[in-house]
Amino acid sequence: MRGFFAAVGAGAALFLSGCATAPDPSGANDPYESFNRKVFDLNRDVDRAVIKPVAQTYVDVVPEPARDGVHNFVTNLDLPITFANDVLQGEAERGSETFLRFTINSTMGVGGLFDVATRNFHIPFHTEDFGQTLAVWGVDEGPYLVLPIAGPDPPRDAAGQVVDIFLDPWTYWPHFRSKFWWSAGETVLEGIDLRARNIESLESIERQSIDLYASIRSLYRQNRNNEIRNGKPDVTNLPNL
Amino acid sequence: MTKSVRSISTAIAACVALALCTFFALASPASASSGAEAFVQSNVQRGLQILNNTSLSKEQRQEQFRAFLVTLTDLHRIALYTLGPVRRTASPADQDAFVDAFRNYAFAVYGAEFSKYSGQSLRVTGSIQRAPGDELVRTVLVDPHAPAGQEPIEVDFRVYNSGGKYSVVDIVVAGLDLAITEQEDFSAFLAQHNGDLKALIANLRQRTERVRTTGRI
Repeated sequence: MRGFFAAVGAGAALFLSGCATAPDPSGANDPYESFNRKVFDLNRDVDRAVIKPVAQTYVDVVPEPARDGVHNFVTNLDLPITFANDVLQGEAERGSETFLRFTINSTMGVGGLFDVATRNFHIPFHTEDFGQTLAVWGVDEGPYLVLPIAGPDPPRDAAGQVVDIFLDPWTYWPHFRSKFWWSAGETVLEGIDLRARNIESLESIERQSIDLYASIRSLYRQNRNNEIRNGKPDVTNLPNL
Repeated sequence: MTKSVRSISTAIAACVALALCTFFALASPASASSGAEAFVQSNVQRGLQILNNTSLSKEQRQEQFRAFLVTLTDLHRIALYTLGPVRRTASPADQDAFVDAFRNYAFAVYGAEFSKYSGQSLRVTGSIQRAPGDELVRTVLVDPHAPAGQEPIEVDFRVYNSGGKYSVVDIVVAGLDLAITEQEDFSAFLAQHNGDLKALIANLRQRTERVRTTGRI
């Protein structure tokens, strides 16, 4: 299910590379900007109509411990992908943190429901994906791309998501693979959890920006680069004020 | 949902902190190893005193806090940076109008976040010198309401020192740089409006007014 959007992204990237592109007025490596803006507006409409109300109801109706449990559970399910990419990037310490976290939370945390690794063992948390791995290996992000529902997803990151499906051990678990609804259900749950956790933050950004599309584009890239650097400050690329 | 949505969510979660974070005090008075660190440390302490002054009304506290921030930050420099290439072709009158509009806009939209202050503080963890008179002072946000063991948010202050006078020229929260974000936001607006700086100024003023009167956009 997750892979569906990634595949759409990869397909869109291939398709768009053949399209005539307008000159890039903002110099922001966004040659498909007019297309992206339309998709962005579509996403906002869908969010306003469906996703945000569902997420808000989820927050209003489901008690916090239950919501935390859901969050911990879906986060835990994705840890094998993080581990695989830690290894591919040669990050031994981070890989062992991920491994420990997954083991502790799956067992002591009762199938990932409780984040024992953070609360009791203070193991630092991080995520990795193949898009980050590609970046570490020197692959450029590519032209900015906004996908339906999924949002910002430039070619490198979209391609990374496709590869992550193959790196994900759950893909090969017969129980999951044969049951479309398991995967779809997990994706929906992850989406609601994510949206619910960001209701106020997104409202703040909407308040603060005059061009929301451009602000999100900037924030997406800055955040992505911060993830790729594993949180280390990039002192050399600070703006010249 | 995909990983890209997750990374956006991290980004936007950090943005709330980005607005909040400029302003909070030191939890533990570690000895500063640089002038810039001392500058951040002591001024963040003063900021906290203002925010915690219960003998003043909320509006008075916010006013005092704004006045305090004006002394600390080089808003003029930040504002002109956010203009990007348009800065070179703008008339001095337009530039002044823009800096004024930007100042009011920044206080209105980021000020809306001050009301959410609830006991957070900042702890200086070190600094990196980029060049003489150009330092990045590193701090972490200490939030009494955050769940136990959660990763603390890193807040970096870009501090310039010119002739012994320190000023904050930028803030980076969880890897998100305020000046860069504003610059890319405004540049996109200008690109969509044929570089019309007056349109940008008008938009900022409208937005400021709306936040002031309704509390939201």
